[in-house]
Amino acid sequence: MSAPRSGRAGLRGLALAVAALAVPAGLSAHEGGSVAGLLSGLLHPVTGLDHVIAMIAVGLWGAQLGKPAVWVLPVVFPMVMAFGGMLGLIGLPIPGVEIGIAASAILLGGVVAGEVNPGLRLAGLLVAVFAIFHGHAHGTELPDGQSGILYSIGFVASTGLLHASGIAIGLIHRWDWGRRVLRVLGGVVAAGGAWFLLQALSGG
Amino acid sequence: MAAYAALAIALPKGVAGHDVRPGYLELREQADGTFAVVWKQPTKSEVPLEVDLVFPAGCRVSGVRQETAADGQVRFHARLTCPEGLTDQTIRLAGLEGLQTDVLVEIHYTNDTKETHLVRPASPSLVVGGAPSVIDRVFAYLGLGMAHIALGVDHLLFVLGLLLIVRDRRTLIKTITSFTVAHSITLGIATLGFASAPTVPLNAVIALSILFLGPEIVRVWRGQTSFTIRHPWVVAFAFGLLHGFGFASGLTSMGLPQSEIPLALLFFNVGVEIGQIVFVLLVLALVRSFRTLEIRWPRWVQAAPGYAVGSLGAMWTIDRVLVLMGLA
Amino acid sequence: MRRPSSRGSAAVAIAAAWLLAMPEAAHAHLVTTGLGPLFDGIMHLAVTPEDLLPVAAISMLVGLRGKEHARAALLTVPVAWVLAGWVGLGRPVEIPLATTFVSFLAFGGLVAADVRLSRAWIVVLAAALGALHGYLNGYEMAVAGLGMTGLIGSAASVFVLMTLASALVVSLEVGWTRIAVRVAGSWVVAVGLLMIGWSLR
Repeated sequence: MSAPRSGRAGLRGLALAVAALAVPAGLSAHEGGSVAGLLSGLLHPVTGLDHVIAMIAVGLWGAQLGKPAVWVLPVVFPMVMAFGGMLGLIGLPIPGVEIGIAASAILLGGVVAGEVNPGLRLAGLLVAVFAIFHGHAHGTELPDGQSGILYSIGFVASTGLLHASGIAIGLIHRWDWGRRVLRVLGGVVAAGGAWFLLQALSGG
Repeated sequence: MAAYAALAIALPKGVAGHDVRPGYLELREQADGTFAVVWKQPTKSEVPLEVDLVFPAGCRVSGVRQETAADGQVRFHARLTCPEGLTDQTIRLAGLEGLQTDVLVEIHYTNDTKETHLVRPASPSLVVGGAPSVIDRVFAYLGLGMAHIALGVDHLLFVLGLLLIVRDRRTLIKTITSFTVAHSITLGIATLGFASAPTVPLNAVIALSILFLGPEIVRVWRGQTSFTIRHPWVVAFAFGLLHGFGFASGLTSMGLPQSEIPLALLFFNVGVEIGQIVFVLLVLALVRSFRTLEIRWPRWVQAAPGYAVGSLGAMWTIDRVLVLMGLA
Repeated sequence: MRRPSSRGSAAVAIAAAWLLAMPEAAHAHLVTTGLGPLFDGIMHLAVTPEDLLPVAAISMLVGLRGKEHARAALLTVPVAWVLAGWVGLGRPVEIPLATTFVSFLAFGGLVAADVRLSRAWIVVLAAALGALHGYLNGYEMAVAGLGMTGLIGSAASVFVLMTLASALVVSLEVGWTRIAVRVAGSWVVAVGLLMIGWSLR
């Protein structure tokens, strides 16, 4: 968690940086910070393995379920995830976030392994609930002194690209061997989730 | 003609161009641990701009002398003694923050290493010993090249004129390539010091090259043809040679040391080409997008880019020729 | 193009006007123009995600609907931008930059849901977006001392971005590429939600 920092001030800081960019100098002293914000946003989701495997599982599951789930899930997920992030930012606590994330990996891995199709509505709901946990845990971890909006853009884009890679991997679903590989991958994700769950429980 | 006069008055100042030359600061470490300082202040239209060097508190400056070079530029020489060394210390360029130019700082050490900083107005200071890698310098020169083309309205107008004449993709690639090859040749020649072009006549001829394209564009509109329309790459090559000398001014005015020139030349040129390609692609993408969206512009809007090339070319030519004749 | 003599005197008059307008340019080259306010205005959009993403979102929205909608928005947004920006230049009221989250949610949401709006609605929404962001831009231009020139630069960038982005989306024919646009819309909403979080923090 970063040191407490007013989001309002963060935005105003960005506005100032932008104003500095706009002056004839052409380049802002804050440029490094802004780029760093974008970068750390982009990198953040990738550095948390629990997040990565769950996001790829979303893509895999979407690919298994086919249309329309394959695009409904990646459309719904970022929005709900950001909603979770917003709750985290305004300080609304969600208990057991780490456990929730680990559980999401187990469940998402499990449904991919079992090729479970609960129907679009239930699938969407399941993913949405987990999305809140992911957003709450990761969306708020802005390193000090970096731009909030650029961090957010990087974070959202990176998560979306993880979905895309999940869907891309899921394209092998059209072949028999591919279907088997996907189920194995689901099992791997679930196992990873179980490991993270143990970690979360033992960690407190 | 009345239209020209109105245009001349309405144009923002920036379009005319100020001859701003970036500053250059060299610190060369001597055997006794002191530094020999050479300082060229940035200038605007040959007038030095107010930038003061502020060295770290522990340092002492001695033996300041002033020297006027053959090109009229004033250089200061001095000796800098820093008992605690310069590493991790801050050198400030007071006053730079109010200007629109950069200062290139080079520090040469006795062990034949050196560090380079491109100090910009947004943060007018540097910390010595900031590990100046080749990568940093590459990016600095790339940026310099891109900025140079982005602000070189005359070069961009010439390229726009070529785009308006060229009819098909093959000719386009040939034309842009020959312009690129031609100006790279003269940029290299001029930067390496083999030849140079006097600024004022050069600018007059560059302006003339833009004006030259105006009537050709009108011929294209009328469905007529000419040597230029059939072989635009020949014209692009010939005038490209002139434009290369123009590009060189962006680099030679920095007064780079001999050893830095190959790297600077290469990446400055690459920066210029990146900027030029971005401009060409942007124009082509816009034209294509207008077609996709089926936007039909009124005739005068369609004609505007052509008229801009012709009339600005004419205006600059007149302006430059007057300067050349000493009338202005 | 009348008699040569009048042309010559006109040329001198032009040159005189030119030189009077900018005395310091007498010995300038053409190559460097100095980073004027126009250029700074043009660059402003690129470095202001608060404007960039909503403008991208409305481009996607009209692009999904087709060229007629795109043309309507292309005309409306820059005009509203300049008009509202002109008001903003006078700095009557300060509106926090964070209000732009409204555009993130509205336009990102419309793209994500692929709502089939009529052209009249598009014009209304485009005018609203141009007015809000144009006003904020005008205000910022005034603060940065770039004035009307900077504002026109930023409006020009908006026009160029919208042209390119909407034409790109219009030309998408493969099914999944249109879905990708909708996903991008949901990203805009997501960033907007996080922005609300940041501003309330």
